[in-house]
Amino acid sequence: MVVQRGDLACCVRCAGLTAAGRLARRHLLKSAVHPPAAEPSGQAGAGAVPVAGAADAAAVPVTGAAGAGAAGGAGAAGGAGAAGADTGGGSSQPAGPAGHPGVLTGTVLDASPQIITLYSPDGERRIALPPGASVWKGRQVDPTALESGDTVVVRMVPGQRSLADRIWANAGRVTGVLIERDRESMLIDEGRTTGRQAVLIPPHVMGRLQVRFPRLEPGYLVDFIGLRGRGYLEALVPATSQPTYRAGEAPARAPARGHSPGRIAGSAIWHEHAGPADEEGVRYPALDPETACQEQPLAGPGCPRLPYLSVGSLLRVRNECTGTARALPVTGCAPTAQIFCDRCVTCGTSPRGRIADLPMAGFVAMGGDLERGCFNATVALGSLSPGSPGPGSVAAGSLSAGPASAGRR
Amino acid sequence: MTGSGLPATLLADLQDVQPPIIAGILIGACLAKLSRVLRSIGWRGGGFRGVAPPGPAERGGARRRRVPSEPAIAGGPGVRPPGAALDAGLGPTQLFPLRLRRPLAMVMCAFEMSLGLALLVTELPVGTRAGTALWAPRAATGARIAAAAFFLVAAAALVELRERRPDLGCGCFGDFSTRPAGCRSIARAALLTASALISIQSPALYLPPRGHGALLFLGIAGTELAVIAALSPEVSGALVRLGYTDACELRRLPADRTLATLRRSRQWRKHARAITTEMPVDMWRELCWRYVVFPCRQDGKNAEVVFAVQVKRRRPMVQAAVLLLTTDWPHGAPAASVPAQNQSRHEAMQLSRRV
Repeated sequence: MVVQRGDLACCVRCAGLTAAGRLARRHLLKSAVHPPAAEPSGQAGAGAVPVAGAADAAAVPVTGAAGAGAAGGAGAAGGAGAAGADTGGGSSQPAGPAGHPGVLTGTVLDASPQIITLYSPDGERRIALPPGASVWKGRQVDPTALESGDTVVVRMVPGQRSLADRIWANAGRVTGVLIERDRESMLIDEGRTTGRQAVLIPPHVMGRLQVRFPRLEPGYLVDFIGLRGRGYLEALVPATSQPTYRAGEAPARAPARGHSPGRIAGSAIWHEHAGPADEEGVRYPALDPETACQEQPLAGPGCPRLPYLSVGSLLRVRNECTGTARALPVTGCAPTAQIFCDRCVTCGTSPRGRIADLPMAGFVAMGGDLERGCFNATVALGSLSPGSPGPGSVAAGSLSAGPASAGRR
Repeated sequence: MTGSGLPATLLADLQDVQPPIIAGILIGACLAKLSRVLRSIGWRGGGFRGVAPPGPAERGGARRRRVPSEPAIAGGPGVRPPGAALDAGLGPTQLFPLRLRRPLAMVMCAFEMSLGLALLVTELPVGTRAGTALWAPRAATGARIAAAAFFLVAAAALVELRERRPDLGCGCFGDFSTRPAGCRSIARAALLTASALISIQSPALYLPPRGHGALLFLGIAGTELAVIAALSPEVSGALVRLGYTDACELRRLPADRTLATLRRSRQWRKHARAITTEMPVDMWRELCWRYVVFPCRQDGKNAEVVFAVQVKRRRPMVQAAVLLLTTDWPHGAPAASVPAQNQSRHEAMQLSRRV
């Protein structure tokens, strides 16, 4: 089991490559015992999205039995563990090398006002900078401010493979509980498996940060965006307003009758991915505590009320500002997301609570701007669509639909 | 409780009813705070949350194998360091420096309990001598003056809390008092101050005479309780909690219970012969279902049987399916090596019976 083997004990990124296979197997097994229900045509059409790199069906269902006389044999759909995307009305974009459509990550080899050369996972790439392209490096800068060695995330112009729309250079983020502080630096606890992060605050930024983070004292929560250096973050932008409570004093969840709504609204944030396995999924704040995930929420009862899922569950995340939606596998717990009861105001005001924590490239691919820190989002449970060919499809589901709703309470 | 007319009777009854009501409120507030403290350190009515219950070995029985889903790390998930949330919701104690908050909260809780008990004890007659009640009027007066002073200070602290930390609950009744302190909370403290003050001169409490007198007494008590309830923002939250149970997708259910449910089910009995290991090789949860996977043998080939067990306390559904393992099975670890058929059957059935 997960804990004894230790491969999914904390999250996918700790488990390495074997985890992907195990997650794919979970989907096959789940499909066997709970065959995905046929979606209404409209919904399936809107929600079915291709999953890149999925494993072929590899198990032969033999028997299926249902205690309630429901499910029978399984149509083993494609594997999972990879992300699918649709643009929910937006234009389709070519997939980036890392699997995020329209997004390229890499290291700058050379930069000029019109062209930058990147070293990306699939080799050297030359990206053209049209006149309207913007570059963020702690603030909006001229493309010539990019230097060799800068780590960048590039969002392409829709439909283009080598034309940059926006570039973020050396962007980093630290979210967690302040542990120690001296005059210009502080130590932040981001969770059990992430370790502690050092944050430097330049003196000229301190005043601006303290407008939204007035209590820079041990025990209080911080969330800063800035420039990533070697082993530290130079905090420049407050990602949210500081909660008034300490980390251990997060407000109790209000009791609410009935089941969770099919789609849960809140805000989606981003984090610096901690490895290849973490890059392709989403961190979810409410993992089943019984699976002994080491990355439990840091403290406090949490906000909002989210249904329990596990590593490997497919989650359909939708950017309510752009309409972009993607079905992503849960790759780990977002240990600090539960204790922030903040709202996102990127487009309108979202309900309280952080509901998804995306890797940097995934966040950009869904239309988020890194310097904003969040976008208004909704999440629903994704499921493998029935009868999908080899590379499986992910259909929009609902957090209160499907077999989960059978005989509830 | 004698008087020449109805107003005098009303006043006497009003004075008599105050000490028990105030005592009840003080003791209730202390117990509510205490329950919050106990919950925050993991106590949940007979055991500590997050720490596996003692196995047979600890209880002196045969050594129990660790259920895979049990936390492998010390403390396990869901365990907060003791005292991590003690400060939350403790109301006006938040106005003090951090190191003083916990001691102050404990002192306040102890003082409430002591004061409540003192009000109750000093109101009862301790005996009679020649038909006259023996009673300790000085002790009773002292307890009531202390109660009045306590509520006066509480009202002032709430005003201060509202000014300086308007986001905090008053913490008067522990977890129930999470709403920011408002006019109602302050008015309630003022009302209780006045109640304690008017009760200072009341004599020992006797059962009211049957009939009209008892009805009047109960009517006054009921009216006052209704007024206090109307001034208490905690009442609505308490009523919601009385009839509240988490929806299944939000409910925490130990993996032990899932396994116990599974092993009592018809589906388990149907597949137990083929299952080759005692413990599941994988277990995970999605919403209202927990999936449990065991390796098994099917027609001489390696296979896996997956059970879907509903996360439900009563009559959960259990569903199952068997999948043959093929060579291109996604690269997780294959099912555990299969021991001799007889031995596996024996182990599985033994496990089934044990549960």
